[in-house]
Amino acid sequence: MSGAWDVGLGGLDEDAFLQCCELFLQHARSLDDGWSWGRLNGSDEGFLKKTVLVTGKINTEAPDGTSRPAEDLDMLGEDVQDGGPDDAEGTPAPPSAAAVIRYEYHVLYSRSFQTPTLYFRASTLDGRSLSLEEIWDGVHSNYRQRLLHAPWDSITQQEHPLLGQPFFVLHPCRTQQFMSPVLEAARNQNRSLNYIVSWLSTVGPAVGLHIPLSYATASSEPSGLDPD
Amino acid sequence: MSEAGESPTDNPKDEPSAVQSPPEDIGSNEEKKKIDVLLKAVGDTPIMKTKKWAVERGRTVQSLSLFISRFLKLEPSEQLFIYVNQSFAPSPDQEVGVLFECFGSDGKLVLHYCKSQAWG
Repeated sequence: MSGAWDVGLGGLDEDAFLQCCELFLQHARSLDDGWSWGRLNGSDEGFLKKTVLVTGKINTEAPDGTSRPAEDLDMLGEDVQDGGPDDAEGTPAPPSAAAVIRYEYHVLYSRSFQTPTLYFRASTLDGRSLSLEEIWDGVHSNYRQRLLHAPWDSITQQEHPLLGQPFFVLHPCRTQQFMSPVLEAARNQNRSLNYIVSWLSTVGPAVGLHIPLSYATASSEPSGLDPD
Repeated sequence: MSEAGESPTDNPKDEPSAVQSPPEDIGSNEEKKKIDVLLKAVGDTPIMKTKKWAVERGRTVQSLSLFISRFLKLEPSEQLFIYVNQSFAPSPDQEVGVLFECFGSDGKLVLHYCKSQAWG
């Protein structure tokens, strides 16, 4: 992957992005863990994509004040009571309940930041898109405090560059900053590294996307070196 | 090489204990409840005075991350990331015992940690 690190110290160029995605997908197929390549007809540009179903919390009050029927899960069988960081302002949090949520993740290349970017959206099973507030409820507690420190800069809603639909985005402006020591260490030790794996394992869990441990060792080698 | 650890938290019993001497050998067939973790700083991140810790297998990455963050007195805006193989961030819910099985060598698990203003 020559030239992969010639962009800013913590970034990668688009060719390297595509190569890393391909290696990532090879391992994904061996695990059958749901990743695929998305592309628009007639376009060369593409993105990694994956959809998962998770349980989480949704608001049960519709914007006009009437109660929305909550999805009732026998397995969970408990209503998540309101009460969270939002209560600080004194207004009561809207009633909420546990529900099955469909999360869709896309990894696209950002030419302006020269890094990958994580786009995601979430909806209930009956097709209602989750609000920004509900998205924040789903942020993993390990990252929550830091993300909330600059909420308007960390998770934003933007139009998907290829699909034109609204998605949430983990803002990539600091990506090069936290990736550069990782890349530098790999360079110094002459060790190959899959940028996508390193980056996605770092940011993904914040928004519910977990990368299995086997990616750590599998996907920086070209195919043909498959262990039994 | 390692000194007695300070007790920076409310529940010293639940925190990783510093390795004061080589771990006792309780028999090769018996699984030790704690594993040895060696913490290494990445980039500009401060180096911990005590690097070697005995950690319960069931401790999560998140729990360890919280411990290191408090130990280093990180700012609220600073995020701590932990890596295995210096390149892969395990999920915060992952247990260190599992990481040890997969990535441990020479009887210890080496974890690299890095603080960053990762968001925004």
